[in-house]
Amino acid sequence: MLGYYLSLARRSLKRNKGLTVLMIVAIAFGVGASMTTLTVLHVLAADPIPAKSHQLYYVQLDPQPLNGYRVGDEPPYQVSRYDAEALVRAQRADRQALMTGGNAAIEPDRTDIKPFFAEGRWTSSEMFAMFDIPFLAGTSWTADDDLHAARVAVISRALAEKLFGSTAAVGRTLHVEGQQLRVIGVIADWVPHPHFYDLNTSRYGKGEQLFVPFSTSRELKLSRSGSMDCWKESGADSTALDSPCVWLQLWVELDSPDKASAYRDFLVSYSEDQLRSGRYQRPPNVRLRDVIGWLELNKVVPPDARLQTWIALGFLLVCLVNTVGLLLTKFVRRSSEIGVRRALGASKRTIFIQLLVEAGMIGLAGALLGLGLAWLGLWGVRHQPAEYAPLAHLDLPMLAATFGLAITSSVLAGLLPAWRGCQASPAIQLKSH
Amino acid sequence: MLHMKNVSKVYRTEMVETRALHGMDLDVDAGEFVAVTGPSGSGKTTFLNIAGLLEELSGGTYQLDGVDVQRLDDRARSKLRNEKIGFVFQSFNLIPDLNLFDNVDVPLRYRGLPRSDRKRRIESALERVGLASRLRHFPAELSGGQQQRVAIARAIAGDPKLLLADEPTGNLDSQMAREVMQLLEELNSQGTVVVIVTHDPEIAARAQRNVHIVDGTATDVERGPTLVRSA
Amino acid sequence: MQVRPIISTLRRHKTAATLIVLEIALTCAIVCNAVFLIGDRAARIARPSGTAEDELGYITLTGIGTKADATALTAQDLAALRAIPGVRQVSSVNMVPFGNSSWNSGISLVKDDPNGVNVAQYMGRDLLETFGTRILAGRGFQPNEYLDFEAAQQGKFDHPSVIVSHALAERLFQGDEAVGKQIYFGDKPAIVVGVMANLMRPNEFGEPEHAFYSVLLPVEIPYTEGGGYLVRADPAQLDTILADAESTLNRIDPARIILHRRTLHDIRREYYAKDRAMAYLLVGVTLALLLITALGIVGLASFWVQQRTRQIGIRRALGATRGHILRYFQLENFILATAGIALGMALAYGLNLLLMAKYAVPRLPGEFLPIGALLLWILGQIAVLGPAIRASTIAPAIATRTV
Repeated sequence: MLGYYLSLARRSLKRNKGLTVLMIVAIAFGVGASMTTLTVLHVLAADPIPAKSHQLYYVQLDPQPLNGYRVGDEPPYQVSRYDAEALVRAQRADRQALMTGGNAAIEPDRTDIKPFFAEGRWTSSEMFAMFDIPFLAGTSWTADDDLHAARVAVISRALAEKLFGSTAAVGRTLHVEGQQLRVIGVIADWVPHPHFYDLNTSRYGKGEQLFVPFSTSRELKLSRSGSMDCWKESGADSTALDSPCVWLQLWVELDSPDKASAYRDFLVSYSEDQLRSGRYQRPPNVRLRDVIGWLELNKVVPPDARLQTWIALGFLLVCLVNTVGLLLTKFVRRSSEIGVRRALGASKRTIFIQLLVEAGMIGLAGALLGLGLAWLGLWGVRHQPAEYAPLAHLDLPMLAATFGLAITSSVLAGLLPAWRGCQASPAIQLKSH
Repeated sequence: MLHMKNVSKVYRTEMVETRALHGMDLDVDAGEFVAVTGPSGSGKTTFLNIAGLLEELSGGTYQLDGVDVQRLDDRARSKLRNEKIGFVFQSFNLIPDLNLFDNVDVPLRYRGLPRSDRKRRIESALERVGLASRLRHFPAELSGGQQQRVAIARAIAGDPKLLLADEPTGNLDSQMAREVMQLLEELNSQGTVVVIVTHDPEIAARAQRNVHIVDGTATDVERGPTLVRSA
Repeated sequence: MQVRPIISTLRRHKTAATLIVLEIALTCAIVCNAVFLIGDRAARIARPSGTAEDELGYITLTGIGTKADATALTAQDLAALRAIPGVRQVSSVNMVPFGNSSWNSGISLVKDDPNGVNVAQYMGRDLLETFGTRILAGRGFQPNEYLDFEAAQQGKFDHPSVIVSHALAERLFQGDEAVGKQIYFGDKPAIVVGVMANLMRPNEFGEPEHAFYSVLLPVEIPYTEGGGYLVRADPAQLDTILADAESTLNRIDPARIILHRRTLHDIRREYYAKDRAMAYLLVGVTLALLLITALGIVGLASFWVQQRTRQIGIRRALGATRGHILRYFQLENFILATAGIALGMALAYGLNLLLMAKYAVPRLPGEFLPIGALLLWILGQIAVLGPAIRASTIAPAIATRTV
């Protein structure tokens, strides 16, 4: 019977070509706009590290002066060097790493490349294992290297290929800011989106190319990048161990909720110790958020993207109301034909299904065209200057969602008209001519 | 074949209640050819709608080929209508988008017959009305009489036991009207019960039995030209 | 033309009429808000930066390794840049409007006030002249007022002079004379010596008016502190002069990397790229919505005309002129549009409240409602014109023809 409905639908759609095209285009526009903005939202709101987003926690402490403190205030978004180093030393989590972004000029051995700047991360040894960063060659440095500020570096595949022409770079020497570092590892492409572990630097960028032990970066005075907040004059070196500034990120890995709550208690008792020793002035004010909580706090999804999504969905709603109206006129216009069919033995249900099939067919065509429009829309988004722009692609779930949205919405739009259409009474129609 | 007992039909609108039929008794037996006459507004159309299961009755009982129809839901009524009844309308009611073949196919589709069976029935029905050569034509390409013959083909393609015709010749000239009547008489002679609602005394005169409806009640009329009032 | 028969006809087509009213209402609500948001973004993009933008270029660079002689090198660079023909003024500056680096501080009228105003601090010699920012009251800095960056960093200056922007002066002193007053950077006092035109800060903190909370400090800053060289030159030659400047800098010390060389105009374009994208999206959605709604009206009106063909024929037979029939459909559309617009106004207002609560959108000013209404009335009349004309050409003979 479905075959019969499909052939009837095709025939009917062909009869009022203009109307059919109008309905398809309306649905396609609505679906296209919605899917474009939803895909952008999907990219922005993606979990950057799905396997571990609930085991990685971001530490916040409050070393600021008492002046201006209100209970419930959010502590600073980063930690001081003193606290970061103390907590890494304490080893109270399964893994822990402190880090900051940085920039360093690299002078290649090859004369055909000019010196250039590479984005880097100055961190401690456990970061690689904690974030599951895959190595192509070599390994991470060790805790001992952290302790002794070893002159070592881990570099990205791209940097290795640029400097040495291959990823077999382990053991080679890197000239960084006039100093020499030994390459001990090359990592595979690893670029989480968003750049969750440090949201002060580019959130959807290409990622870092150079990883150096934090202790080494301080000895070599490598420049740092990101944000720094100081609560009093910092003196000549704002990155000194005792500087009154927060500028480091501290991540810990805790593989169970119990461990997380134990660690939170530990942070409170650490803060109390600091208060007793006079380093802190405020009562313990700590936060321990997992990756998702941290991204939400930082409003990683920009309000504009949400606003655009709502606008697009509003647009889709108008397109649907439009389609409901047009389908209604179309089905009511057919009431005499429907009356004859009813007289010839079609039940209301049969007619209802026949009309829904027709609406669904419009939905399918709308979905296909809408998919094209979404693809075009995303192409447009990719040419936007936004940082996340290159990531705006339709993936399989979004592709499925496009079809789902188009067909669901057109069948929904078809419900009322089909219901009204199948009410066409067989008795009345016989005489109305 | 068709047994109505004390059938009534009341139409309700916001303000008025109209009694279209009340206390109608009518029995039509197998093999009969019945003409139903009556003045405008007497309830002829309501009778046809009820007899054809297009409307539900407000009171009384109606048995069609042994089935009590007042208890059936829409699906069962549709099925019964599809299998037992053929309709011929005054205005033909062909579907303009469909060619003759597809028009005759409509009731067979709803019966869910296999393709080969449908094809055989459609061709034979069109053959019987003399239009077998015009399968692929559309209704608009035919004359009124030809269109009505297609409608009859559509009505008989499913081998109904009852053929209900509503002024089948009303829109036709006398020559075509005679052809259509001949066709209906032929079908009746092959065993189909024919009930025809008409104004036309000439048509009524050709029927075996005349039923006159006045004020929603049916009475059998003795054959005689003086008794046939024109409305 | 009577309205009552039209209304009574519409009542008999309740569902279709309701749908078209609903569509017009939704479109009206979205279009009112979209037009308003477009205006809001456009106004934001059009804000003046308080500088001679067209004449400015900005070059950022960085040395390899630590440079002990940054201050001397900066002086050498500045002298060389100034010597390029066509250059009007050059400064080494810590940041520029629309740039992505910013130096901020809290200032207040009392010492250590935790609820101070967050302001952006511009540093560099001759900045007013280079930016082209006017002094509105008081004076600019004297040559002997400038301090060395290292010294300033270590807090070795007392009661320095400061120039505040007009917006900041208004915020701090509410219309009182600002020149001569004392303000605090945390616990450090400073004296306001001048008020300058609104120099925009690199980024905005919260409220839109904060965009112009900026101060100028008499601090000479070397190029190594995250800023760069600000070059003011004839706009016609700006591009070539900036290219010259880059090669001059490379010549002075080849062991440096030029990070960016851009005109302030380009920096501004990039800064507002997201706003522009949003505005274009809104324009696109608005046009598409209006088009879809217009087509919806055409579809429904055509259907009604077709459905009433016989009725129209009878009316014509009874003496209605073509004009009567035309006006009938136009009036019918006007009634539908008016109902849609009335509902749409309420929706627009509600939508705006929602946006205000969730997305920091300002209140929809009243004048946007009549704009939306007018737009939809016109749209409706244009859309219905075709079907109405078709209706008016139906021949009266239809009435006598049996179908």
